[in-house]
Amino acid sequence: MTVVRLAEVARVHGEGATAVHALKGVSLEVDAGELVAVMGPSGSGKSTLLNLVGGLEQPTSGTVHVGDQDLATVRDLAALRRRSVGYVFQDLNLIPSLTAVENVMLPRELDGVRPRLAREEAMVVLAETGVEELADRFPDELSGGQRQRVAIARALVGERRLVLADEPTGALDTRTGDEILQVLRARCDAGAAVLLVTHEPRYAAWADRVVFLRDGMVADSTDVPLESAR
Amino acid sequence: MSIRHGLLALLSRGPRHGYQLRVEFEASTGATWPLNIGQVYATLSRMERDGLVEPGESDEQGRVAYTLTAAGRAELARWFSTPIVQSDRPRDELVIKLAMAVEAKEVDVAEVIRRQRTATMRALQQLTKAKRAVTGGAARRLVLDSMIFRAEAEQRWLDHCEAVLKEET
Repeated sequence: MTVVRLAEVARVHGEGATAVHALKGVSLEVDAGELVAVMGPSGSGKSTLLNLVGGLEQPTSGTVHVGDQDLATVRDLAALRRRSVGYVFQDLNLIPSLTAVENVMLPRELDGVRPRLAREEAMVVLAETGVEELADRFPDELSGGQRQRVAIARALVGERRLVLADEPTGALDTRTGDEILQVLRARCDAGAAVLLVTHEPRYAAWADRVVFLRDGMVADSTDVPLESAR
Repeated sequence: MSIRHGLLALLSRGPRHGYQLRVEFEASTGATWPLNIGQVYATLSRMERDGLVEPGESDEQGRVAYTLTAAGRAELARWFSTPIVQSDRPRDELVIKLAMAVEAKEVDVAEVIRRQRTATMRALQQLTKAKRAVTGGAARRLVLDSMIFRAEAEQRWLDHCEAVLKEET
């Protein structure tokens, strides 16, 4: 099942002589159970791509589907984002005055789920990301790796089957970064679709497929058959 | 490094016979350095000659277990306390190939880089898969980690080459 489908997506910021072509006709699909990594230098369009999939920006031309919905026809994008799409950012954006479990419950409560059920759901994902026992701690009582696990739990809580991760390993050391990818990978293997943006080859290598973005275009991808030249 | 030091290190855990040493050597290096049994026995007999190990009685199957001597322990300690010199690493074919691609006429260097980057990423994906499959055995995992760091460095270097060459044109 295809969870994300971009067809010939272009995105232009600004107009006329100062127009910036952030994406120039990108097509990309992510299936359920698939981890796809997008690599590229800054300015290659990778963040724009993630914003388009999350409905935070609209394409200038082309279409973006999440599940069977064309985002251009979705009225309440905020609700779609809350229910279907989870985000993990480099800067964790956990709310400091809420405990780990309260942070994870938040998107469910915003969606009208009763606190008790929201807490149960939150505890399930916290257990899956390996930080169940830290549920009642506040963000500043957690290490960077633990905070990122909580952020991933928040991205996964409820029925969400698509996770958009923008440099989720940020400033973490390589061992902790590997653990974060391990968690994302496990979620993929359990059926979620993950679109990961990173500039670090070691984390991209956890993906089933790596897409190289250059100047707003897909320059190459590891699913293209390779002839070894020796 | 020599096979000799690897075998000395394994023998520091207790007496071992040749076949056992070979299996343990490959297990801890993640099979990145396959040994044949002949190399193991040849190395053991040279170390016996040099007084680093001594053979015990042969068992009912005719296998001889070797034990570390005091001199063997000293040699092992010396090896661990001396850093490796970075000097005589073999020349890297990729580096030469890319330098030549820049110098040669009618070569699309960007294309050479692009192809290599995708191939290196594939290798990195395979190493990562292998690492995920490792259960227990920190030695093996760390060997794979080392290969991952190296592939990563190559990938970064290729990105760097691309950026530098783009500037020049």
